[in-house]
Amino acid sequence: MLKVQGLRAGYGAINILWDIDFQISEGEIVAILGSNGAGKTTMVRALTGMIRPSAGTVEFNGEDLAKKSSRYILEKGIVQVPEGRQIFTEMTVLENLEMGAFNKKTREAFQENLKTAYQRFPRLEERSRQAAGTLSGGEQQMLAVARALIGMPQLLILDEPSLGLAPNIVDDILQVASDMARKDNISVLLVEQDITKALACADRGYVIENGRIALEGSSAELSANEHVKKAYLGI
Amino acid sequence: MDIFLQACVNGLLMGGFYSLMGMGQNVIFGVMKIVNFCHGEMLMVGMYLTYMLNQVFGMDPYLCVPFVAIIMFGLGALIQHTLITPSLGTKSFTNLLFLTVGLGLLLSNGALVIFGSAYRTIPTSYARTNISLGMVNIPLPRLISFLVLIVISIALFIFLKKSTTGKQIRAVSQNPVGAEVVGINTKKIYVLTYGIGTALAGIAGSLLTGFYTIYPTAGASFGFRALIVVVVGGLGSIPGAFFAGIFLGLLETMVALFVSPSYSDLIVFVTFIVILVVRQLIILRRK
Repeated sequence: MLKVQGLRAGYGAINILWDIDFQISEGEIVAILGSNGAGKTTMVRALTGMIRPSAGTVEFNGEDLAKKSSRYILEKGIVQVPEGRQIFTEMTVLENLEMGAFNKKTREAFQENLKTAYQRFPRLEERSRQAAGTLSGGEQQMLAVARALIGMPQLLILDEPSLGLAPNIVDDILQVASDMARKDNISVLLVEQDITKALACADRGYVIENGRIALEGSSAELSANEHVKKAYLGI
Repeated sequence: MDIFLQACVNGLLMGGFYSLMGMGQNVIFGVMKIVNFCHGEMLMVGMYLTYMLNQVFGMDPYLCVPFVAIIMFGLGALIQHTLITPSLGTKSFTNLLFLTVGLGLLLSNGALVIFGSAYRTIPTSYARTNISLGMVNIPLPRLISFLVLIVISIALFIFLKKSTTGKQIRAVSQNPVGAEVVGINTKKIYVLTYGIGTALAGIAGSLLTGFYTIYPTAGASFGFRALIVVVVGGLGSIPGAFFAGIFLGLLETMVALFVSPSYSDLIVFVTFIVILVVRQLIILRRK
């Protein structure tokens, strides 16, 4: 469904990503792994049109989205839960979710999607009238995921969902991600530093080092890989 | 006591204008984090527009308000689209400072070229009518203006609170990155916001013409006061701007009553400086 080939991107004269190749099929959970500064967030930004790739193709359902605007990519069904959550802290939980409905289609389906989102995260329903800034970190992450779900993604990109959260909350959020992949056939691209948790959830993974894909394989293969063990798992 | 009450009412009526100006400035600042230094001149343009509509079509100044609002919205949107949005990309505050200050100079000097420096008024049949409420007399034009101001302030507040576009404006002002992530068209919001801010200044100008003289630099003192209102009421806060505007109007008339009208500017600015210093001290102490 998504096929990325030779993707290069960076900021101004500084290139960060070098010839990234990877793919993800429908209903699959794929992890993009790497340490701080490996280029993971730059990749998310390039995939979602927030920065323009300097080379390569991002083929999504047969269409090349590499030079398209962030809005166009969103319309096509690639929705991200950004790093740092980026919620609207002075708006209520409900208003934040309303902002997730960006076009006619998602606005018409809003009530229905809201119900599903509340079923997945009952805490958000309890706090729907509260300002988003007063939520705990975990609840804010749930809100960011729920806001993305309102946008009816075909491909959901989760950028560092574990950042600054308690391990059990990370598990909850990853559980919702795998539910969506298994039951609703949504593809999930999980971009993570926490390799143990990411590989426990994902079907396959890619390891990024210095802006290049260093390794790829199934979760089992990567978990057993000597390099991964040494560099990331500390075994 | 009579005089005191009268001064309170006068202050309130004038304060409404400062509120409206401050709210316009604050909507713009909230979304783009820029200070609009030609806000006062936009008020002046609103005055002359009203004057022309009155001279050409014989329209009552208060009937002109919706037309002025629409024209000023269009002007603001055009300025945003052609001048301000392209300069926002440079991330340089000085560019936008020069741009908006320059626009202000262009507008006030343009008015001087077109209309000359003469003071103009729009005569109406009710200009000298007073409404008497017990001990207080209220000139009818000021009362109508104030009521319209209040209605517009409430409408703005509801628009930002309830409508989808209003929510998008708040979203962009709170978190531009988050707004891009959810697909809000930031450039469109910029155009709308500057249009709304300009329209608010134009409406204030139009409402002033019922009892105020029209001249090319008439906007300057309102522009300055809008800045004070924004800083005192809190950057980006619409309710804050509303109450700060009323406070400023009351302060001015109280100074005029108890000290001397000629000191009102002086004391307004001294109060402004004191508030800034005190606030800074509080912030430092908290740290």
